Amino acid sequence: MLPRRRTLTLLVVLCLGHVLLISSQVPSASGASALDTVALGSVSRVQSAIGGVSGGIGGFWRHYLALGGVSRENEALRGRVLELEGQLQGERARGARVDALEEALKMQRSVVAQTIAARVIAGNPVTGVMTINVDRGTADGVQPNMSVITGAGIVGRVIGNPSGHASTVQLLIDRTAAAGALVESSGAAGVVSGGFADGKLRLGLLSSAATVKEGDRVVTSGQDGIFPNGFLIGTVQAVNGTGKSREVVVAPAVNFERIDVVLIVMAKPELPKPSPTSKPPAAGGKQP
Amino acid sequence: MRLTRVFAVVAAAVLLQVAFARFAIGGRFSFDFVLVGVVFAAVESGAVAGMLAGTIGGLMQDFVAGGVVGVSGLVNTLVGYITGTFGTRFVVAKAHARALIVGAATIIHYLMLASLHAVITQTWPVIVWTAMLEAVVINALVGWVAFQLTEAVPGAMARGRSRRRPSLSRRQW
Repeated sequence: MLPRRRTLTLLVVLCLGHVLLISSQVPSASGASALDTVALGSVSRVQSAIGGVSGGIGGFWRHYLALGGVSRENEALRGRVLELEGQLQGERARGARVDALEEALKMQRSVVAQTIAARVIAGNPVTGVMTINVDRGTADGVQPNMSVITGAGIVGRVIGNPSGHASTVQLLIDRTAAAGALVESSGAAGVVSGGFADGKLRLGLLSSAATVKEGDRVVTSGQDGIFPNGFLIGTVQAVNGTGKSREVVVAPAVNFERIDVVLIVMAKPELPKPSPTSKPPAAGGKQP
Repeated sequence: MRLTRVFAVVAAAVLLQVAFARFAIGGRFSFDFVLVGVVFAAVESGAVAGMLAGTIGGLMQDFVAGGVVGVSGLVNTLVGYITGTFGTRFVVAKAHARALIVGAATIIHYLMLASLHAVITQTWPVIVWTAMLEAVVINALVGWVAFQLTEAVPGAMARGRSRRRPSLSRRQW
């Protein structure tokens, strides 16, 4: 065992090294530092491999060993497919009518953004930080701030600088996450934010005159420039209090406990441009 | 504990954490196997091993997490030092007592991490006490299993060897 003084010296050296390392990573305006990008790129391969192995073992268990109730589920799914095929026919007919109307009115056609599927390769091992890593990166055209969804609704957005084959996604339930939102029934606009102990979202910045009731659907407003409008965020679970102190609890549509595959919306985010007055002064220059 | 063994324990803990991290998304389960590995190394071999395990494990965790590199490293190093010093000063031998150290270390780790985040981001993070208690229970349980195994496996192997020897000698007769 090392003498006590040497142990303390080692502790101080290690702590100092960590503090210097933390200090060197001052986040730039574009997002994460170069160190962060390199780190994500190098570990994403390992994460992908581990995810593949654990997914393979889980898949082997589910597909070959644990087959109880599969035939019943299969029958139910066949019924559901038939039902959805019927709905699809109706939607196609409606789409054709919309196309015809847009053509007739010479309107600009509404474009639905393309998406790419991404597999979740790791969660964040630091407790309380709600981010996940997915196996799509700049090589697939992923850019910072692109929104991430599932069939159920909004998951979050790409943060930091994605590496070639991996990106970090900040979940909407993270403490620093927020999205522009609309209450579908009344059209009242607000901001949905995460980071609450119950795992639910809160709808804030809502006009005190706006009517919100339990069960109302909350969708993205598109005003934040990140999330396209009309995507489901969740449903109002509770409205506590009245007036300015009103708290609107929103149950997220996505089950964040079980996300295996997500869709990255490949539309470029339209973030508001900084106004000319907010430009920093040129080097050596003076502000008026 | 030699450096290679410390590294092996920490690497195994990080691999476990990465493999199971998806179960922690959305707060379904809360655990930190890397912290368990750090405390394991510290209690088994003292403060220096704990600090090294904390540095290596924390940095690996930071690299995997994609956040500010050094945050978990710093906190795990301090936790490794504290638990290592405690473990050598008060000789804690029983697995359940060592598991209690893992539980206590989880609380210290959680609060230190929250404080460091507050310093970096200038906002005090939301502390989910139920998640912290859950992490204390799960980490302590995993630690208890790890300490129990290190106690039981060498003994069981020795017993197995001693059982085999007389039968061989009888056959030779």
